[in-house]
Amino acid sequence: MRDVIIIGAGGGGAVAAKELAAQGLDVLVIEGGPRHAKPREQWSRLENDANNPLTGYLRVGQEDRSKPAAYRELPQNSFLWQVSGVGGTTQHYFGNSPRAYPGVFAGYDGPDAALYDVEHLFPYSYAEMVPYYEWVETTLPVQTAAVGTKESVYLRGCETLGLPVQKTKTTLEASYRPQENAILQPGGTAGRTNDANLLKFPQATGCTFCGHCFQGCASPAGAPRNLAAKRSTDNSYMPMALTAETWASGGKAVELVTDATVTKIRTEDVRGELTATGVTWLDNPTGMVHTEDAKVVVMSGGAVENPRLWFNSDLPNPNDWVGRGFTDHYLDWTFGLFDENVGSSKGPASAARTDYPGYGMNMNVGLMPGIEAFTMTFSDSGIRGQYTNGRGLTGPWDGTTGRLLGPELKDVLAHGLDNILNVVSIVDDDVSPINRVTLSALPADENGPIPKVRFDNRHRTARSRRNREFLAREAAKLLKGAGAKKVYRMDWPALPLHVHSTMRMGDSAKDSVVDHSGETRAVKRLFVADNSALPNSVGGPNPTLTMQAMVTRISEHIVTRYFDGEAWVAKGAPVLSTDPRISRRLTELGL
Amino acid sequence: MGTPQVDRRFFLTRVGVLGALAAAGTAVPGVARAVTTGPADPLVGVVSKLLAELARDTLNGLAVFVVPGPDGYSRTQGTPRSEPGAMEAKTPDFLIESLDNYVPMPDTIAAAVGRALANGLADVPIVVPNGLPLVPNALLADLDDVIKLLLRNDAALPLSAVIALLLNTQAVRVDPTSAAGPHLSPFSRLSFAKKAEVFELLEQADPQLVGSIDRELPEPLKGTTSGILQFIAGALLEFSAFGTFCEWSTFDAERLTVSRRPVGWDLAKYDPGSMDGWDEFKGYYQGRQKVSAR
Repeated sequence: MRDVIIIGAGGGGAVAAKELAAQGLDVLVIEGGPRHAKPREQWSRLENDANNPLTGYLRVGQEDRSKPAAYRELPQNSFLWQVSGVGGTTQHYFGNSPRAYPGVFAGYDGPDAALYDVEHLFPYSYAEMVPYYEWVETTLPVQTAAVGTKESVYLRGCETLGLPVQKTKTTLEASYRPQENAILQPGGTAGRTNDANLLKFPQATGCTFCGHCFQGCASPAGAPRNLAAKRSTDNSYMPMALTAETWASGGKAVELVTDATVTKIRTEDVRGELTATGVTWLDNPTGMVHTEDAKVVVMSGGAVENPRLWFNSDLPNPNDWVGRGFTDHYLDWTFGLFDENVGSSKGPASAARTDYPGYGMNMNVGLMPGIEAFTMTFSDSGIRGQYTNGRGLTGPWDGTTGRLLGPELKDVLAHGLDNILNVVSIVDDDVSPINRVTLSALPADENGPIPKVRFDNRHRTARSRRNREFLAREAAKLLKGAGAKKVYRMDWPALPLHVHSTMRMGDSAKDSVVDHSGETRAVKRLFVADNSALPNSVGGPNPTLTMQAMVTRISEHIVTRYFDGEAWVAKGAPVLSTDPRISRRLTELGL
Repeated sequence: MGTPQVDRRFFLTRVGVLGALAAAGTAVPGVARAVTTGPADPLVGVVSKLLAELARDTLNGLAVFVVPGPDGYSRTQGTPRSEPGAMEAKTPDFLIESLDNYVPMPDTIAAAVGRALANGLADVPIVVPNGLPLVPNALLADLDDVIKLLLRNDAALPLSAVIALLLNTQAVRVDPTSAAGPHLSPFSRLSFAKKAEVFELLEQADPQLVGSIDRELPEPLKGTTSGILQFIAGALLEFSAFGTFCEWSTFDAERLTVSRRPVGWDLAKYDPGSMDGWDEFKGYYQGRQKVSAR
């Protein structure tokens, strides 16, 4: 019997794995996708090879890419962007690691307290969260982003908005700043040369400004895995979990099983309480069924897979909130055409941002041309100039919202990718029971009934809609302030790639699935430790850091509640994920 | 309702088959015979090949709708361009490969669309344009039987063919004259604005289409058609754009690089450099390399 089985090695599961391994627990991690062991040899860093949701190496599905990707029913114009494999969606994330706004936590009494999703706050205070933020910020580490041309242009636009610069970790007011990113700052030749021969570790360290965050990061060439620039959990937390005996006193390395899908959480009645006792999983290549027992089971499969596994395990759902309350930041996209080169294809994907507590945030984004073209054809407002689907929004952008198609799409992209500056609006959207994950009536796959993800963009709450309109207007003002000659707004349909709160944490048993510790209300010894346990959309900021801090706190509760351990964050100092002991051990293990 | 022959003619016109026969000048097996309607039926092979050609032609029309170029399809839709477009980027191949080999859509949905087309959606009377071949009644019956057999048989048709028949049915609906003319498929004969009308019908859940498909779905799935059609409509447009501008057409999977610059990179003036990094570090905003701990 294991101490703990963790289901999923993504942005959250890897954090729980590292923290529990450091405490010496016997941990088994089961991941549905691959571990990319040699990314420099496996990853082209080209966007179809990487990001195609059907065939890319960063897709959702099993390791064998000749087999179809996992199918999810999306009963609306939308796109669900999941990634399986060690690192999960952090493999393609931008590393943006801001803290949540204090207003989304219990006990907040600032003058803007009424502006937030006040019905669905964190069940503890911001002050209580700060030590966990600091722990994760040191571990990753999180650093102030180095800026390139596109940030210079974005920040120039910010300077026209009449907002102050944020110089603190905590966001205290509407403001702008370079990102706090989980990306190592450039050192040596990194960022200072185009010559690949000069961009090898250790001559180059940290971010080389290659422009491929979204395709996975294994730069600079020759760096040990735990010194890759972007701190996705395949580069940071999972290497720590796999080497815990070398850097943690009393630590024990986790066992990692990949390309294996957990299909059932097994339970028993223990002294009158339904209690998790283990899991059943399928080895994807062979179809072999395995079972293993554990004292504690941790669900870290993500905001779509966790509800699916819950339903497929026939676990109780007494308040009907499993899968409900899905928040996704109700994303929207605005971009400007410039006469000057704004460097969109170079550097970290996003290194500058504007924060609007109570509304959400805007930030710049640089992409490769295929996904840029995707962003320009993705709209809920029909085809620009042809039909509007009853929308076709107007504002301080040029013309109406809608898909750019045909001659217009060509003309815009012919401007040149590096003459286009993108701004994504990331909305503080409300927890709403109608946006949810259920099981689809479509045929099951080998892992059981498949998930159905319902987002009703036309019936978001009034506050969510207000926030999105506010942010789009601010984005257009910023772009024009920065010198854009023409500004387009897309009015995206639902694009859940920030996915949260489908197994939400809360104080009330009426509308939450897990309590403040992350343990499920319905099943003892079963915890949820990833974005799905977030109580809300964290106010709009990119969710990963907040989730990782929350998972660190959940890990402490697992140890203190079930393994007679003591909490460690308040009195300890974290080891950095870049520690040379980790590098050495990874080399010894051939990892 | 018309006579069976008239209904068959409507059906075969709407899914684009009669027009394709006329445009292709295909030698149709001219001998009427009792249809055995099994896989061994020689007509099944002929029709499957014709439907594959029809599908490719339809997706040519779709790809240039999103990214037009100097090709004949772009000229037909009224938006020719001098620089390369989706045809030069091989986007129709990208779409066919994706739809037929990788889209994990359950057969349940494709089969329901197929049955809807076979069971009446495509029988709605239209003014059949001039220029369609006068096919003998017996052959008309054979073609009708074989195509409906394929459509009613779960998983008998590749997804690209089902999608193409769907687009063509809607194309003839928004412009009946598209049933005949240049190219093989009605959708490819439409103007840019008429192609947009087809997508408007799909995105806004055309009640006639939704009702026809819903009737063919098993009970737990009834009511899901409109959402699924909205998803398909969007995905067709977005995938056409992505396929044209990404590296797919010149990717060398062995070397994990491109064998030559993809069309889309030229169109977007994209330069990947060495892939390993750029001389792009400008410093730290206001010289601040670290924020306060607060």
